[in-house]
Amino acid sequence: MSEGPMAIVKPEMKSYIWLQTADGSIQQVEEEVAMFCPMICREVLQTGMGSSKNYAISLPQRVNPAILGLILDYCRFHQVPGRSNKERKTFDEKFIRLDTKKLCELTSAADSLQLRPLVDLTSRALARMIEGKTPEEIRETFHLPDDLTEEEKLEPLRNMTDDPRIRLLNRLYARKRKELKDREKMKNIEIEEEHVDERSVDDLLSYINGGDGDSKGGRANKNKKKNRRKKDQPRNSSSNYENGNHKNGEVDDVSSPSKFSKFQASASAIFSPKLDFDDGDIDDELDPAMKEELDREVEDFARRLNSVWPERMHDILSLGQERRLAPISMNGNGSLQRCTGDELADWQFTTPLTHPRRAK
Amino acid sequence: MAYSFPEEVLEHVFSFINSDKDRNAVSLVCKSWYEIERWCRRRIFVGNCYAVSPRIMIRRFPEVRSVELKGKPHFADFNLVPEDWGGYVYPWIAAMSRAYPWLEEIRLKRMVVTDEALELISKSFRNFKVLVLSTCEGFSTDGLAAIASNCKHLRELDLRESEVDDISGHWLSHFPDTCTSLVSLNIACLVSELSCSVLERLVARSPNLRTLRLNRAVPLEKLPNILRRAPQLVELGTGAYSTELRSDIFSNLAEAFSGCKELKGLSGFWDVVPAYLPAIYSVCAGLTSLNLSYATIQCPDLIKLVSQCHNLQRLWVLDYIEDSGLDALAASCKDLQELRVFPSDPFGAGPNVSLTEQGLVSVSEGCPKLQSVLFFCRQMTNAALVTIARNRPNLIRFRLCIIDAQAPDYLTLQPLDTGFGAIVQNCKELRRLSLSGLLTDRVFEYIGSHGKKLEMLSIAFAGDSDLGLHHVLSGCESLRKLEIRDSPFGDKALLANAAKLETMRSLWMSSCSVSFGACKLLGRKLPGLNVEVIDERGPPDLRPESSPVEKLYIYRTVAGPRFDMPGFVWRMNEDQAWRLS
Repeated sequence: MSEGPMAIVKPEMKSYIWLQTADGSIQQVEEEVAMFCPMICREVLQTGMGSSKNYAISLPQRVNPAILGLILDYCRFHQVPGRSNKERKTFDEKFIRLDTKKLCELTSAADSLQLRPLVDLTSRALARMIEGKTPEEIRETFHLPDDLTEEEKLEPLRNMTDDPRIRLLNRLYARKRKELKDREKMKNIEIEEEHVDERSVDDLLSYINGGDGDSKGGRANKNKKKNRRKKDQPRNSSSNYENGNHKNGEVDDVSSPSKFSKFQASASAIFSPKLDFDDGDIDDELDPAMKEELDREVEDFARRLNSVWPERMHDILSLGQERRLAPISMNGNGSLQRCTGDELADWQFTTPLTHPRRAK
Repeated sequence: MAYSFPEEVLEHVFSFINSDKDRNAVSLVCKSWYEIERWCRRRIFVGNCYAVSPRIMIRRFPEVRSVELKGKPHFADFNLVPEDWGGYVYPWIAAMSRAYPWLEEIRLKRMVVTDEALELISKSFRNFKVLVLSTCEGFSTDGLAAIASNCKHLRELDLRESEVDDISGHWLSHFPDTCTSLVSLNIACLVSELSCSVLERLVARSPNLRTLRLNRAVPLEKLPNILRRAPQLVELGTGAYSTELRSDIFSNLAEAFSGCKELKGLSGFWDVVPAYLPAIYSVCAGLTSLNLSYATIQCPDLIKLVSQCHNLQRLWVLDYIEDSGLDALAASCKDLQELRVFPSDPFGAGPNVSLTEQGLVSVSEGCPKLQSVLFFCRQMTNAALVTIARNRPNLIRFRLCIIDAQAPDYLTLQPLDTGFGAIVQNCKELRRLSLSGLLTDRVFEYIGSHGKKLEMLSIAFAGDSDLGLHHVLSGCESLRKLEIRDSPFGDKALLANAAKLETMRSLWMSSCSVSFGACKLLGRKLPGLNVEVIDERGPPDLRPESSPVEKLYIYRTVAGPRFDMPGFVWRMNEDQAWRLS
């Protein structure tokens, strides 16, 4: 710095990086703060951009000025080396208390700037907002369209393929099959019985609602009720105990090797021819002429469908191809934890079964 | 305007959402979330292996790393499901071997697993890490040898309660010297002798070993050597806990135990010689889980043991603990969450121990965190049940097994309706309930009115009429699994509540009064269910329509009929006379 009577006291020399957001506005940011973002860091180092207003670094579209402000606050705090973990955690917890819209924008923006710790922080916050909610509540929170069909919603697994075209074709097949079945049923004399059954169900309903006039006596059964099976006892003793009205003269000796090998043999015999449960099996019951007609109709329908197919599906399908190639990494915790919860087909919540035998 | 993200970001958010319930909710939000979610779902739980086919699962979730399947219905544990009923895992393994080369974990419960299946697992999944076979059967130690030899990154091999064709203990030597990845090894159900030197070497080269459950054949004298090689153990299952009384063995054992500073869980304890129990006293204070369900330890020794386990959260024990032991438990173990008391002599004519309803009342009073109970006993009163209900409204699982079927309140000789009624009324979070004793339709009325969160209900020798079943089916909104045996429930309640069955995982009824005709009707009317009649007397249509079926298993499915039904199982869904040429 110069000295002398007319010396101007200059402020500390600080480096700034110039950033431009998608709306055109440009701002300067302290270098150490901006460089905390990998994307900005790379731009500076590789292209030399950002050193002046004219050479401002263009930020990705997802970063608007307001969000940039938030991100820079984050960077400004965390780039200071001396902070304790506790301090950082406290800051983070306060930092993510944002409305949903801002949180979404922030996640998106942080991702585009490759600011991993902030992406994780915001993603976890979003995950917590999603947990415990119903699909409808999630839709409301994030303003998402309700674009799954009723059928898809009721039983997501009934969508047998990932390609909605094939789904539609399957539906056509199913409809045709039903028509054929119904035609057969018309010839069926058992239709009389069905009507009788219907009536009696109504009867039953009114019976039930009317109250209990027909109580059967409780089963006086001397047999002891369910009990766990003891490992150190031969099976036949407990089965005697449990099923008084049952066969069980046979000796069920579990540990005999011959029994197991026979068992294995029968199991594999059952399975070797039937490993591929193809949907096509269902159509085997149709008479060939019918099947041909059906095939023609379906082909025609498929052709018509192909011509109006939206691009998006192609994107998703081709994205699907890429994904198949690489093994995808594990979840954030780095481990697969034991999960308790719903089953595949959206069956309701369950806890893992524990049975009354001694186990685990 | 949707708050949108790029897909990778959404996928990253989903990676923090792990419960199946939440993931299912996510998949139903909208089309794009459905698509993204299915590509990043890594873990699948299938509660009934016949509810969905491997093909459907694979088609929907292409990148799965962990699969859990359950096969036979729960009552298989009580020998009510005949041999060869089903639950074969091979088709699943075969399909997954082609579709999921990166599969890491397979957990099976009550399934039939063959050596072929085990070999296929060992050869198909290069990154295979976890195999848990809970109450499975159908395989031998040869299959285990294949797993040991070929799974280079194996972390968990857990054979809980499975029935293994135990040819020899030699399979253990198939773990190569390069295998150092073991975290959990549970071979407690095996019978054969194992080579202790092989075991010791395996343990010594597994620095991450946290759980080790030995089988009965591992002698007590050898335990210290094993423990010394694994001082980091968190869960230990001993072998037989008996040997000749020698002070050097005792001090060796006590020293070895005291070296295991991380020990939180103990099990095993076959054939206990009480003099050796003090060897574990040094670890009692740290124990959170104690499984003494094989241990013939008498009450005084149990009291001494339990009184030192102040941090105990889970206790499984034989009824030798008696009321006085349960009093001690209530006084010492304030963190207790789960208690299971098993009968030492269930087939005996009368009580052999002094275990009564008072013991359970004590625990319910003394242990504020108690939420899960399984209790075998010989007598119960309504008053005791009401007290328990009042003391512990936080109960989640309550399974009471009074050994004599239809035993009434032994003081008043009344049915136990009021007692169980109090349980369901007070314990609003109750998810699982097993009934026993003398019970009328009234108890089901209570259950239907109050058991709104009940998911699983087990009924035996209970009720008077269809009204009982009707109360349950029409009232229990969260019901998923219902299993009934030897109760006078017939067609009416079932048919009137047929639609309910589509909202449940499964229904089992055996030795009840459901007619063949009703089964046929259910099968025809509800295509979303498999209605299977199990009848070892022969084809049901050889008997009158009104004749009751032996056993009935109804479950919802998207996989259609199963192709592996044995000769004594008939599916009721087809219209028998219908054929298309």
